[in-house]
Amino acid sequence: MIEKREALAKMFSAKGSKVNTNRGTEYYDSLMKTMTLRLNELEQTTAASKTSISSVLESEGLDRRDFMKWASAACAALMLPANFTPLIAQAAELMNRVPIIWIELQDCAGNSEAILRSDAPTIDELILETISLEFNETLMAASGHAAEEHLEEAMHTFKGKYLCVVEGSIPLAMDGLYGTIGAKAETFKDHLLRVAKDSAAVVAVGTCATFGGVPAASPNPTGAVGVQDIVRGKPIINIPACPANPANITGTILHFVLTGQIPELDHLNRPKFAFGYRIHDNCERRAHFDAGEFVEEWGDEGAKNNFCLYKMGCKGPMTFNNCSIVRYNSGTNWPIGVGHGCIGCSEPQFWDKYAQERPMADTHFKAPSGGVEKTVDEFGLGLLTAAGIGIGIHATASILAGKKEGDE
Amino acid sequence: MSYKKIERMTGFMRFNHWVVAISMVIAIVTGLYIGHPYYQSFIADPAVDKYVMAWNRLLHFIVAIIFDVSSIVVAYLYFFSRFEKAYKKLIPTWTNIKEFVDVLVNLITLNRVKKFDSSHADSFNAVFFFVFHMMLIWMLLTGLQLYVHGLASGLSSIGSWWPAVLHLTTDWTVVVTGGTFMDVRLSHHYTMYAIIVWIMFHVYYQVWRTIFWKEGDVNIVIGGDKFIKEK
Repeated sequence: MIEKREALAKMFSAKGSKVNTNRGTEYYDSLMKTMTLRLNELEQTTAASKTSISSVLESEGLDRRDFMKWASAACAALMLPANFTPLIAQAAELMNRVPIIWIELQDCAGNSEAILRSDAPTIDELILETISLEFNETLMAASGHAAEEHLEEAMHTFKGKYLCVVEGSIPLAMDGLYGTIGAKAETFKDHLLRVAKDSAAVVAVGTCATFGGVPAASPNPTGAVGVQDIVRGKPIINIPACPANPANITGTILHFVLTGQIPELDHLNRPKFAFGYRIHDNCERRAHFDAGEFVEEWGDEGAKNNFCLYKMGCKGPMTFNNCSIVRYNSGTNWPIGVGHGCIGCSEPQFWDKYAQERPMADTHFKAPSGGVEKTVDEFGLGLLTAAGIGIGIHATASILAGKKEGDE
Repeated sequence: MSYKKIERMTGFMRFNHWVVAISMVIAIVTGLYIGHPYYQSFIADPAVDKYVMAWNRLLHFIVAIIFDVSSIVVAYLYFFSRFEKAYKKLIPTWTNIKEFVDVLVNLITLNRVKKFDSSHADSFNAVFFFVFHMMLIWMLLTGLQLYVHGLASGLSSIGSWWPAVLHLTTDWTVVVTGGTFMDVRLSHHYTMYAIIVWIMFHVYYQVWRTIFWKEGDVNIVIGGDKFIKEK
């Protein structure tokens, strides 16, 4: 009942993805004050982690100039005026003040991998190294009872202050027994609810944690759902994509450090600074779309000329994310750049409805007539055929039977 | 037995009908291209000024606007037409239900039974067209929802109020169709097929009536008149 009511409320209050990038001097002045106050407060607290950004940068051979270049880029990414750059830099230096508990549920750890496994890490990724990661099942050395004790201690010490970062979906089928953790075999659901309860905010990282992702794809045997489906009464920030872009994770945490609040979100609880724009509108192949120049099959002449991948199933026109601007792997490239269409990985139900190598009209979806999968066009042509046969029968019958009536 | 000529559609109503008909054909042809580009641009001529998808989308949007305006006119005629006001035939009164059933019986008994007055627009037709207008409104709402995805910046050439209005009036279609933008597209595409089926039946039924009722019904939308038998 409550869910129904919420769905209804959502239906009439759905926010658009509009991003207001100029809110006037007054707004920014007051924001600057809030942020300065917040950062000064943070500075007074003791660092939760010993790593500092300057030491990490030094060990990677990066100088202050690189750092300040990053700070101005991050400032632009968060859609703040240029005079916020020093604040961003200060916030990055204070990242080790915000404790984070990162829990790993039903997924492939791809989001952790995306952040950790780059051989030439960007400053975004390095900053994530300096955050005070109090608990992370994938990374920490402790195991079993020791790990659980560590979690308890972190939750107790930073009660109400830590960010709960969640990676992976939550299986609900069979009372959640598809995924358990720890020596007491706590289900993922209980684990998440327990950690989320005392957090300042919950950050769902990756599509599994946000919308259920691949584990929730049809027929969803484990009954997988996203964090926002079961956690109530906590601010939830969704950072979908498969994997989530480290730049967006940093941006969100940075925003939290700067303001103590969560960034402006769209109707799917995604930060607008990252998910406010459509891939299609910032795509380098967009001109080929408008020209009607499409790749017809892998490796054809069009593919060699970087034509539009729409006919190969690119879902850029219906996907909101900033990968066409920020890109992946230290900004090296992104799916469309290397010649594969977008699979819409930052949208809900992407595996069932987006991730096919054909346009929507040719994709095998569950037909409205029943369980058999059909393409939209096959279903439509079936409908037309049925209508045509019906009309044909009626016409023939009318010619045969109607004449008698007319003669009378 | 003599025939009397009666007027059924004014010049403006007939004009509106054909504008809608032509718009629909264009919308289907360009819409199918947008859903799956079924012909190629000249791949061998990279420097040619080709804008194939953009032209298709432009045409699609233009006929959509013409459609929408004509729908507003039709909505007005529902209540203020100087012929039969269509809304009167839609209210489920016993007279209307009886007429609806009688016309349906006439159709399925292949014109052997005809127990209603065919000189005016009947309840069956009114309901049939009401279904069509509902489908058009659905196409309008889902179409505008798909369109506003391209205005993510919140700006448009006519001001920021336009995307704001579109979000306000069409965002609910995402929730209703299944929660993703893809569901809106699917629904828009499926509804097109439903509309084509509607057109098939509509054209067939008008021709069928003309042949079997022998009252020149097809002329309603061309000359504006039909004939009824005088008793």
